[in-house]
Amino acid sequence: MSFGRFALKRSLQGIGVVWGVVTVVFALRFVTPGSPINAVAPLDATQETRQAIAAELGLNQPLYVQYGQYVFELLQGDMGRSYIRGQEVTTLVFERLPATIELALAASVVAIVLAIPLGVISATRRNEPVDYGATLVSLGGISTPNFWLGIMLILIFAVEFNIFNTSGRGVDVGDVAMSVINAEPFVGTLLTWLAYITLPAIALGTYFMALITRLTRSGMLDELSKGYVQAARAKGLPRTLIRYKHALRNTLIPVITVLGLQLGTLIGGAVITEAVFSWPGLGTLVIESINQRDWPALQGSLIVIGTSFVLVNILVDVVYAYLDPEVVTD
Amino acid sequence: MLKYAGTAGAVGLAGCAGDGSDGSDGSDGSDGMDGDDGSDGSDGDDGMDEAFELGVTMGQMDSGLDPQDHAETNTEIIVGQLYEGLLDRDKQGGIIAGLADEWERTDDGSVRFMLRDGLTFHNGDEVTPEDVRFSIRRIVFEDVGIVSPQSNDLGSVSEVTTGDGQVTVSFEGFNPIAFQLFATNGPIMQQSWVEENGGDYINRNANGTGPFRLTNYESGNQVVYEPNEEYWDGAPEVDELTMSASSESSTRVNQLLAEETDIVTNVPPNEVSRVNGSDVATINSVPSARIIFLQMRYDVEPFSSQQFRQAMNHAVDVESIIENVLNGFGNLTAQPTLDGHVGYNPDIDPYPYDPEEAERLVEESGHAGVEITLETPIGRYLRDVEIAQAAASQIDSLSNVSCEVEQREFSALVQDVTAPNIEDRPHFNLLGWGNGEFDGSQTLTPLLSSEGALTVLKNDELDGLLTDAEATEDPDERVDILQEANQLAHDLAPWVFMHQQFSVYGVSSDISWEPRADEFIDPDTATQQ
Repeated sequence: MSFGRFALKRSLQGIGVVWGVVTVVFALRFVTPGSPINAVAPLDATQETRQAIAAELGLNQPLYVQYGQYVFELLQGDMGRSYIRGQEVTTLVFERLPATIELALAASVVAIVLAIPLGVISATRRNEPVDYGATLVSLGGISTPNFWLGIMLILIFAVEFNIFNTSGRGVDVGDVAMSVINAEPFVGTLLTWLAYITLPAIALGTYFMALITRLTRSGMLDELSKGYVQAARAKGLPRTLIRYKHALRNTLIPVITVLGLQLGTLIGGAVITEAVFSWPGLGTLVIESINQRDWPALQGSLIVIGTSFVLVNILVDVVYAYLDPEVVTD
Repeated sequence: MLKYAGTAGAVGLAGCAGDGSDGSDGSDGSDGMDGDDGSDGSDGDDGMDEAFELGVTMGQMDSGLDPQDHAETNTEIIVGQLYEGLLDRDKQGGIIAGLADEWERTDDGSVRFMLRDGLTFHNGDEVTPEDVRFSIRRIVFEDVGIVSPQSNDLGSVSEVTTGDGQVTVSFEGFNPIAFQLFATNGPIMQQSWVEENGGDYINRNANGTGPFRLTNYESGNQVVYEPNEEYWDGAPEVDELTMSASSESSTRVNQLLAEETDIVTNVPPNEVSRVNGSDVATINSVPSARIIFLQMRYDVEPFSSQQFRQAMNHAVDVESIIENVLNGFGNLTAQPTLDGHVGYNPDIDPYPYDPEEAERLVEESGHAGVEITLETPIGRYLRDVEIAQAAASQIDSLSNVSCEVEQREFSALVQDVTAPNIEDRPHFNLLGWGNGEFDGSQTLTPLLSSEGALTVLKNDELDGLLTDAEATEDPDERVDILQEANQLAHDLAPWVFMHQQFSVYGVSSDISWEPRADEFIDPDTATQQ
């Protein structure tokens, strides 16, 4: 199989997965109790009003008609209109997506900046106190639920010490960039951005950090025991050069793969963190849509999350196949 | 601190305040009153060095800015800063003037509103009687543009006609609470603005007459307002208003304690001491227009027995629940109508907590040994699950009744509670009901008349009283009828009468603001301390 055919095959599989997401989410509305009409109409609305609302939302159409219509519109890039907000779902979703991506990237940065040095130190000082400490930190990171961690971070660093904001999203990274272009106080805007994003990024990135720390540590230990490292040592290369140029570089290949895959997980997994920090991202929209049975908004959100995940997976697979042609043959 | 180092991280609160009169007329809630202007409001005192920036954090953001295309409180609060109706309410729920400064009932039973002179929308255009006609019709008639979920709220409006600076609304038959309805409902929009813009635009922009103008709308994140300098009652003292939401109550309280916001809604009882123990905020509560009760369906055993239903009222120690579950944030109730609402009967006492009497009545009903299940929504009303668990536990402690609780997601429970046929509705469930019109009929009719959308009762005598109340033009006579209906409802005991819910707010010590009985938030009455 050629590389091109491999890439095409993976892309088609990805489309199939997204279609599966669309279908499953669409089907869920018919097995989940509750109706969007209850979120739109007051409790004492007459049956006539309820029926009129159902007709306006298209809910009185047969199932297959609703499904067919939805898929047809989706293929044209139209994700429908929110039952509750009366707005285009495309607008709602793409308005929230940047906040989620920003948070996921910030969480990744927090994780990487802490995890790789911690993993390397842990591996190079194996069975020393610093290794035990790093192992303890990573174990704690993997075991701590991020909603609890988020609440604790807020109580300590936002309420008690008043260093960071408790919640919300004051400015976005675009504002920080624009402050340079518009000659506005860059430092002030940057600090405001940090005041809002730091705590949710830590809460979301901690699990990720722990995972990468463990991966880096085990990878590094593996590399350091390999023959080329022994040879390099025998040739008298400096220890720093062996560790950080040769062993670390090889260790980072699987780490980067996991990083790519985890970014997709972070985009989809930020729901709880967003709720705790009132972060106006896609996760918050998902929660609101579930509570209000706003199926078009929920479907739109999940399609975007699912597509992000699939795209990242395809990208990782294709890059892998490019780097290792055996994958294509397999 | 990092949060204060930037340009947008802090909410500055300083300076001095005007008097910010709440402009309360007071009202007995009856109709036919003459239009009074209410307070002119005060411009307050100048001399502020810093802008008065006010933050309000609720549990949920709006569902779009179309003031006529929603039916829930959070959206009402957000759009209510931008749009107004013909009449309004004071903090206690009394009717006061809105865009109309005079109102009257005509000889044929219609109601006439005289618009204030010089009213303008936020875009500078004059408010015309045709705009008012269009707005009312847009709510009531589907062919005008939308299927408004508020169509029930204006009663059976049959036609709207205009005259020189005035609007006349006719109903199908006599509507005794026309002014109550218009004091709570019917936001006015500009006809040309609505017709020129689509739903997407209307849901993200605003052009009302309210005390604030929209400056920035970020769906799901925040809404920012500036004062309407042309406001007919004087511009608010607040220089910038920001409304945002946090679904987690602990997050809202944390925001308040970190001085990032000034008013937070729905502070749970377990957070009250944390707020009051701080030196930056206090708790401010007010009895709301919402009653909490346990519905019992009249047509299924054992609830078909009036004695059994009365037994349930004796079995639940509501006073103890208010004290221990709600930390005192509740008032006892004995009838469907709340104290202060039209038709409230002051002579009815709550059923006393008396387990022995409850057991005796259960025996008499012939249902000794029965097993019942109380269905409750989760997180819809203040501590609803805990209240249901406490009530079920007290019923279960009777020697001849077993009771357990079934927790249900609100949307699923509502699906059943609003089922078209009473046979499909729950047998025994907890529910809350907000009466924004402050009129007993607006609780009794939908919840206890035979044709009510949520009824669990069919009683000819009660139906007759409610029909009479609807047709009675004399307000005093109507009050007498409603009081009689409340006495009958108490005796029939279709509910376990629980409590009147309180609205509990956390309020920054930097501001002075009094909450309202109707759950609406009016930042235009806030002043700096």
